[in-house]
Amino acid sequence: MNSNSEKIMINITDHKYKNWRLYLKNKLKKINSNNIEIDCDNLELSCTDIIELIAIVNENNCRIISFCSTSSKTIITTQSLGYKSHFIVEDHSSKTLNINNKDFHPSKTLFHQGTLRSGEYLDSPGNLLILGDVNPGAIVSAEGNIMIWGRLLGIAHAGSKGNSKATISAIQLRPVQLRISNKVARGPKEKPQDGMAEQAKIDSEKIIILPFEPSSSKI
Amino acid sequence: MATDTRVILICSGKGGVGKTTLTANLGISLARQGLATAVLDADFGLRNLDLLLGLENRIVYTAQEVLEEECRLDQALVKHKQESNLSLLPAGNPRMLDWIKPDDMKKIVNMLKDQFNYVLIDCPAGVEDGFKNAMAAAQEAIVVTNPEVSAVRDADRVIGLLNTNSIKPVKLVLNRVRPKMMANQEMLSIDDVTDILALPLLGLVLEDEQVIVSTNRGEPLTLNSLNSPAAKCYSNIAKRLQGEDIPFIDPAEENSGFAAKFRKLMQTKIF
Repeated sequence: MNSNSEKIMINITDHKYKNWRLYLKNKLKKINSNNIEIDCDNLELSCTDIIELIAIVNENNCRIISFCSTSSKTIITTQSLGYKSHFIVEDHSSKTLNINNKDFHPSKTLFHQGTLRSGEYLDSPGNLLILGDVNPGAIVSAEGNIMIWGRLLGIAHAGSKGNSKATISAIQLRPVQLRISNKVARGPKEKPQDGMAEQAKIDSEKIIILPFEPSSSKI
Repeated sequence: MATDTRVILICSGKGGVGKTTLTANLGISLARQGLATAVLDADFGLRNLDLLLGLENRIVYTAQEVLEEECRLDQALVKHKQESNLSLLPAGNPRMLDWIKPDDMKKIVNMLKDQFNYVLIDCPAGVEDGFKNAMAAAQEAIVVTNPEVSAVRDADRVIGLLNTNSIKPVKLVLNRVRPKMMANQEMLSIDDVTDILALPLLGLVLEDEQVIVSTNRGEPLTLNSLNSPAAKCYSNIAKRLQGEDIPFIDPAEENSGFAAKFRKLMQTKIF
């Protein structure tokens, strides 16, 4: 059974019986690798579910390398338990949205509703739109732009794969730290004016914060 | 007997903010309202709820023996000397650190549900296994925090974990409030804290030296010193839990003539 150490991906969605526990147990019997990536698809799993899942996998002498899912709740749960996990963006057909801005890929925007609390981490392979606050101690990261319809009080990293045109916008932009591409900046100390949305971007090798102007930003 | 038992987790993330003190005092206050209340010490590695309640020398069995069927549940439950509606159940003893699992916790709480109106679970500090065990059986939670940046940060983390386990409602108790420091803006204000944590406030507890005295004596404040500022806050929290609408104290007002306001409070409410 442990002859092979190659990573094997297991999708745990059981379309027939809707019972991922049984399904996972059956699948584990058939595989011949002990390194596993779990694809949770669109299942919303709680901390208890994930702990149970890990126990099932461990019983079969296997080890979980990482998770992936299309549910941001599951991603946050697995990450808060210390596992590596990838968010998969569902491809809701973007053809209906015919926008002339070539930088805008609606299908590659991860949308998260709710507050990100201390210790939580959210990563997007495209843009990231958050409806809620990012509290101190939380980290958000995106390969594209980050927009926060709320307060940014934690750490944000836009253009995480090196896109230096990426921007970070928030209704209240008071982060602990800002990162765009490979640049790092500390957040401003003084409190901002109420009701003034702001945007951070790179201007001549430095991260600067300007009042938010929707027309100037390519989302 | 009780069908609608409320199982409440009392947690904070950070240590030393007053989880155990709140558990003990809430337990006494609820018991005094005639409600059968059990306090479960899930912090078995460093258990001290029994000390606060003055019951250390009466513990013979723990939940562990109950699960292993070495004794009956009623043998392990320690009834409080003065407040017979209150019972303590220690989850385990400090020598055995890794026996308990989330399922064990659920079993114990289910047993307690038959006999009690309230089950209060005193959670250990941290967000590791101890916390996850304690959380397994809870339906709702009270998060205790102090007006300090580090305590608020840890509380935020805990609230996130409670949310991913769909425990609700989660309510907030702000402990060790010093009205003077708040007025001088040397301490986070109530708004600062509720702004970040975004939870409904269940109560404020004023800083009170009597808490230390009562802890050392093993007599919770709500038992014998009902006139101390903190004791009042604790019993107000217990009443709010029962659905009574009791206004919050205003730290600003407390500050302007603390003694005068205090006397006024003494005359108005409470037994």
